[in-house]
Amino acid sequence: MDTARLFLRVGSTAFGGGDPTIAVLQREFYRREWLSPDQFAIAFGLARLTPGTNVLAFCAAAGWYLMGVLGAITAVLGLTIPPSILVIWLTRAWEFGVDYPLARALIGAMVAAAVGTMIGAAVMLVRQQCSKRSWLPPILIAAGAFTLFRVAGWSPLQVIAAAAVTGFFWVRQ
Amino acid sequence: MNVVVLYLLLLKATLTSFSGLGSLPMIRSDFVLRYHLLTDRQLNTAVVVGRLGPGPLGIYVVSVGYMVAGVPGACAGWLAMITPAFLIIPIMRFLGKRSEHRRIKSITRTVLLAGAGLMAAAAVPLARDAITGPMTLAIVAASFLLIAITRVDTLWIMLGAAIAGLLSFQL
Repeated sequence: MDTARLFLRVGSTAFGGGDPTIAVLQREFYRREWLSPDQFAIAFGLARLTPGTNVLAFCAAAGWYLMGVLGAITAVLGLTIPPSILVIWLTRAWEFGVDYPLARALIGAMVAAAVGTMIGAAVMLVRQQCSKRSWLPPILIAAGAFTLFRVAGWSPLQVIAAAAVTGFFWVRQ
Repeated sequence: MNVVVLYLLLLKATLTSFSGLGSLPMIRSDFVLRYHLLTDRQLNTAVVVGRLGPGPLGIYVVSVGYMVAGVPGACAGWLAMITPAFLIIPIMRFLGKRSEHRRIKSITRTVLLAGAGLMAAAAVPLARDAITGPMTLAIVAASFLLIAITRVDTLWIMLGAAIAGLLSFQL
C-alpha cells in the first residue's frame, strides 16, 4: 500500500519530466531506507539501457526490488495513471478551445514553446555526452542521424539500428 | 483505426526510442506522413499537453492515442508507453552488473545520440507549422535558450509562452 501511495503521489505532483521525478523518488527511497545505494545505481543505470521512457523503467526496477513483479506493476501504474487522466482531460479541453481566437493565440504560443524545448532537449542530450577530451564524436553521431533521416530519407528504425551497430564497433578507449 | 493496430504502431515507436520524446520521429513518420491520422499541428498539441502536466515526457503518447481513437486510443497509448518499461526486469536478471561493460555502454550512448539527432530532425517540420510570425519565432528561440542554458522547469516555459500569447492577442 505504501509503495502504491508513494508512486501515486509522485506521479501526480512531479513536474518537469523524468530527471526531476527520479530525483524526488531517490530522496524518498533513501529517507524510507527502501533501496540501497547499489540497488539504486543498478536500477538507474539499466533504465538507461531499456527502450522507452527511462523513468518508467527505473520505477519498474525499483518496484521489483521492493515487491517483485507486483511491485513493478504497482510502481508503473501509480506513476502513470494520474498524469494520463490529466492528459486526456487537457487534450479534450484543447480540442474545444481551437475555435476561439483567444485560445488559438494561446495554443500557437505554447506550440512554439514546445518546438523550442524539443530542439533544446536534443542539444542538451548531445551536450551531456560531450567532454573536454571527446566532444566531436557525439556531435558527429547526432548530426549523422539528423542527416540520414532528413536528407537521405532513412526511417527512424534504420537510423537507430545503424547507431547501435556503430556503437558496437566504435567503443571509446 | 483498430485499437490493437494503434497500440502496435505506438509500441513500435516507444520500443525503438530511449528517451521520452525519442519516439516522436517514428510517430510522426507513421501517423502524420504514412497514415495521415494526425496533422503536424495535432502532434505539436500532443507534445504541449504532455508537458503541461506532471509525469514523464513520453506521456504525450496518451494524447496521440486519444486524438486518433478517443478514450480507447488513449488506453492504447498508455499501454504502449508503459509496456517497454517492464523489459527492465529480464534485463536486470540477465545483464545485472554487466551493464557497465564498455561495448554495452557504447551502444546505449550512440543510440541515445542518434535519438537526439532524430528529435532535432522531427522538430524541423513541427517548427515550420508552429512559426507563424515574429512572436512565435521569438518564443521558439527563447524556449530553446532557456532549455539549453538554464535549468528552468518546462512548465514555467509553457506558462511564460501562454502569457506572451495572451499579451500579443490583447495588443
